[in-house]
This record gives sequence, structure tokens and C-alpha cells, in this order.
Amino acid sequence: MTTATMVMSRSPDHLVEEPDVTADAGPEARSASDVARDAAFEREALPWLDDVYRFALSLTREESDADDVVQETFLRAYRSWHTFIPGTDCRRWLFTICRNVFLRSRERQRPTVDLEDGEQDAVAASSVYSAARERGYDDIFARLDLAPALQEALDELAEPFRSAVILVDVEDMSYESAAEVMGVPIGTVRSRLFRGRRLLQEKLVTVAEDLGFQGAGAR
Amino acid sequence: MSAPARSQLEELGLSATCAEVLHHLWDYLDDQITPAGAERLRAHIAACKQCQQYEDYQECFLRAVSGLRQELGAPESLRERLAERLKGQGCSCWNKVRRGP
Repeated sequence: MTTATMVMSRSPDHLVEEPDVTADAGPEARSASDVARDAAFEREALPWLDDVYRFALSLTREESDADDVVQETFLRAYRSWHTFIPGTDCRRWLFTICRNVFLRSRERQRPTVDLEDGEQDAVAASSVYSAARERGYDDIFARLDLAPALQEALDELAEPFRSAVILVDVEDMSYESAAEVMGVPIGTVRSRLFRGRRLLQEKLVTVAEDLGFQGAGAR
Repeated sequence: MSAPARSQLEELGLSATCAEVLHHLWDYLDDQITPAGAERLRAHIAACKQCQQYEDYQECFLRAVSGLRQELGAPESLRERLAERLKGQGCSCWNKVRRGP
């Protein structure tokens, strides 16, 4: 089989993901390249394993699914290491792969949501606050341990709002980084984030009511 | 500002300056607005009790969400499986996936 035939028999994915090894590179040259790649992968990518696992778990909500997503993420990262630009944010790059792996695994389950703009959600959030204030709940976040309810509300939040809240508010990413991870413009991150926050706040006010929380100064 | 948004603000009985805080407080807290815009909001919030309370409420909410971050580590079983799969790919640092003693 000729070299040309061998190349044509490879799948597009294979061509994209394999490290760039030139046909005339000898065994020694290739080995040096592999050593350099592996050293860089160990130094740049492996330290983020715990972070990627935490992010995967927040997306999948199932440990076994998170395991699969993390393994696939790091295998893809390793095979595609030549596409990582040295000096850039490797955590962000890994999160991007991780989210893509997750979405692909859930492709048929992805909900279709109607996105409002950020302004509507910002104003709607103030209405939620106003309603909370009337019930004396304006200090619930300071006075009540809502972490379990908040975690549950976050778990129930639909994609893509959940990813926006997790990336920006939980993982402390900038809008710009979250936009890159989610593959959308910054304005879209903002509108998804604001919707997610507003939905969480609505849920928490409901939880406080269900718990019979007595506000400090019901008005 | 859109008509529905304006209508909501009127229902809440808020001034145009307070409305600006409502619209942009999250942008402000996320450090996503210009220094001049941030300074304008900061000055208004400092002088407006209602907006101060709203800022406190939103800051507490964002702190609560941020507090959900758990220092979870990848389980040892996952590290073992990933190490084996990287080894299968010819990755020489596969053993580094495992936690050290």
C-alpha cells in the first residue's frame, strides 16, 4: 500500500486528532516529538483532572457518566494536543472539550429553550427580589443555609443556563472564557447566565416559603 | 429600554437611576462594565438605600452560588481507568494520572 493510499484510508477524525508527524521523520525524531508532547501534556493538562471531573459531574449529575466524560475528555485532549496553543488557558481548553463531549453524549436529550434577552431577566430578577422583600425574605441568603436547596435548584436548571451559572458563578470563569467553553458569543453567555440566576432565585423564594421561613421584617 | 421592561419598573415605583442599577447590577458585580459606568453605579448605590439593599441581596446570592464549589477530587477508580487508557494510547506520562503516595 502506498503512503497516499494509507492517508486516504484514515477517517477525517483520525487526521484531525493525530499529532502532526511528518512522513519522513525518523524514529528518533518522532520519539523526541512524542517525549516533548507527553511532557507538555503532563505539565499543562493533568493538573486539571480534578477540576474537569468536578465540572463533568456538575453537568452529568451522575458519577458514572462523569467518569466516562472525563476519560473521553483527556483522551481527546491527548490525541489533539497539537491543537492546544502553548501559553493559553489549558483549563478552559479542557472544559471546552469536556462540555462538547457531554453535549454529544446527550445530543438527543438536549432541550430546546426559548431565550429571553439579558435585560428582561435582570428586570425580572428585581421583581423576584421585590416579591421576596414583601415577604421579608430579602435577607434569606444571609440568614438561611440554602446550599442544599440551591444545589438542587442548580441541578434542575435546564441547559444551557446551568452551564452558564456553573462556569461563571461556581467555577469563577470570565464571560469571555465561558463563551469559549460554550462556543457562543459573550452576549449569549450573559443572557443565559442572567436567566439562570433569575430562575434560581425564583426557586429559592419558593423553597423559603415551603420551609415556612419567617423573614426579619415582613412588610 | 423595552416597553415591558419600562412597565415593570414603573410598577416597582423606581427612578430611572435606580432602573439603571437594576438593569446592570449583575454586569457591575461581574466587573463587565466600563470603569466610568461602574463609578456611576457605585456613586448611586452609595447614596440610595434601596439600591444598597438590592446590591446586598444579589451579592449574598452570588456568594451562595459560588459556595457550591466543592473541592472534589477525581476518584481513584477513574484515575486508574484513565491511566490505563492513556497507556494504551502510548502516553508515557500515564502513570502520573495516579495519585502519588
